[in-house]
Amino acid sequence: MIDLKKIIKDIDRLEPIPQAVQKVLSIVNNPDSSISELTDVVQYEPSLTANLLKICNSPYTGLTREVDSVHHAVALLGMNQVGDLILLAGVSQKLSKEQKGYDLKPGELWKHSVSSALLSRELAKRAEKVDEHFVFTAALLKDMGKLILSQYVEDSFKKINHLVTEENFSFREAEKKVIGIDHAELGGMVMEKWKFSKKMVSVVSNHHLSDTTSAPDPETSVIYMGDILCMMMGIGVGADGLAYRFYKDVLTDLKLSEKDIQGIMADFVIKLKKVESLYALS
Amino acid sequence: MNIVVGVSDMQVSNDPKASIITYSLGSCIGVTIYDTVARVGGIAHYMLPDSTIDTAKAKDNPYMFANTCIPLLFKTAYKLGAKKQRMRVLLLGGSQIMDQNGFFNIGNRNYMAARKMLWKNNVVIDYENVGGSVNRTIKLSVKSGQIKLKVSGGSEFEI
Repeated sequence: MIDLKKIIKDIDRLEPIPQAVQKVLSIVNNPDSSISELTDVVQYEPSLTANLLKICNSPYTGLTREVDSVHHAVALLGMNQVGDLILLAGVSQKLSKEQKGYDLKPGELWKHSVSSALLSRELAKRAEKVDEHFVFTAALLKDMGKLILSQYVEDSFKKINHLVTEENFSFREAEKKVIGIDHAELGGMVMEKWKFSKKMVSVVSNHHLSDTTSAPDPETSVIYMGDILCMMMGIGVGADGLAYRFYKDVLTDLKLSEKDIQGIMADFVIKLKKVESLYALS
Repeated sequence: MNIVVGVSDMQVSNDPKASIITYSLGSCIGVTIYDTVARVGGIAHYMLPDSTIDTAKAKDNPYMFANTCIPLLFKTAYKLGAKKQRMRVLLLGGSQIMDQNGFFNIGNRNYMAARKMLWKNNVVIDYENVGGSVNRTIKLSVKSGQIKLKVSGGSEFEI
């Protein structure tokens, strides 16, 4: 067994997401916030602003007028969407790096994270009482644990892969068995360290539905399903392939039929040209 | 030169300098064809089994569905001089999430759609590598017809 304390210590070495992004998230999540609060935070962060404006002016938003300031972006797209875009701008670099243990080339984890976030937001729109913004954030950040675990997965890949291919373990179960911790659990710890809400910590740790003691809440179900759809479409999928467990009750909980799911996949592919401008942020 | 086939996409070529690649097939199927005489090859990467769920989308992107994508792959290759009887035909992909057990198993239905269609049209499948919970990447060299497959967790091999 590998020294767990060392792995957990690695969380400290992971550069946290910029404070400005954290502030933006709390501003956007507070219904009483004003536009000026948001612009005040972002305007002193030149690289974040530049990245945000790049997204605003990409085919993704479909805006015909050029956006030249954060204020202008909020006026055209609204606080919520700008909040999501600032988050994308703030974490793209971190999630774009190669993750050798998972056989993810540069940019692939980013593709997966962006696509899961967008798909989860679509699923949230259809579900009842699910906060789209929360789900978008959680889906985007859910694999932060892979950034740390990748090196350990690389070292123990043979053992992990053996459990997956020969002993019917899911990749997450094999990580837990061989390394002593899995990427979802570790991702939850990262969220905790970065002072995200308890809810965010729980959703990220349980995004493969490893907690079988109780039924997942709707946010967790949505993020789980968004991830599954990404894996099926093969977007940013690595050495772990599709080796995660399927829980059909989630579909019932979210009131989704197979036809709905196919429709969501088809819609996503139609939008893929636009989404590719987000992939290009890496 | 690499010609990349995206999700719900198709590429056919007779350019000897080209390699046709499709990355990361999950539950999608990559139908790969190659005529050894005309040296024409192609890969179609479709995502769903049947366009009747949304004919408007099939019109917008016929490569999304098995029944609209596969005929286009063959027709495009024929236009470049390929002949059915000389072609290698391979089916790759069609994976599933663990424990799907036939429920919501789009990967398997994608595979069955291709089999049915090819069988009806008297096309013999030369090689299959389908199913499981893996993802697959295919590379086809147009000049030599060499096809390489990489399955997640393993290294690349020649088919």
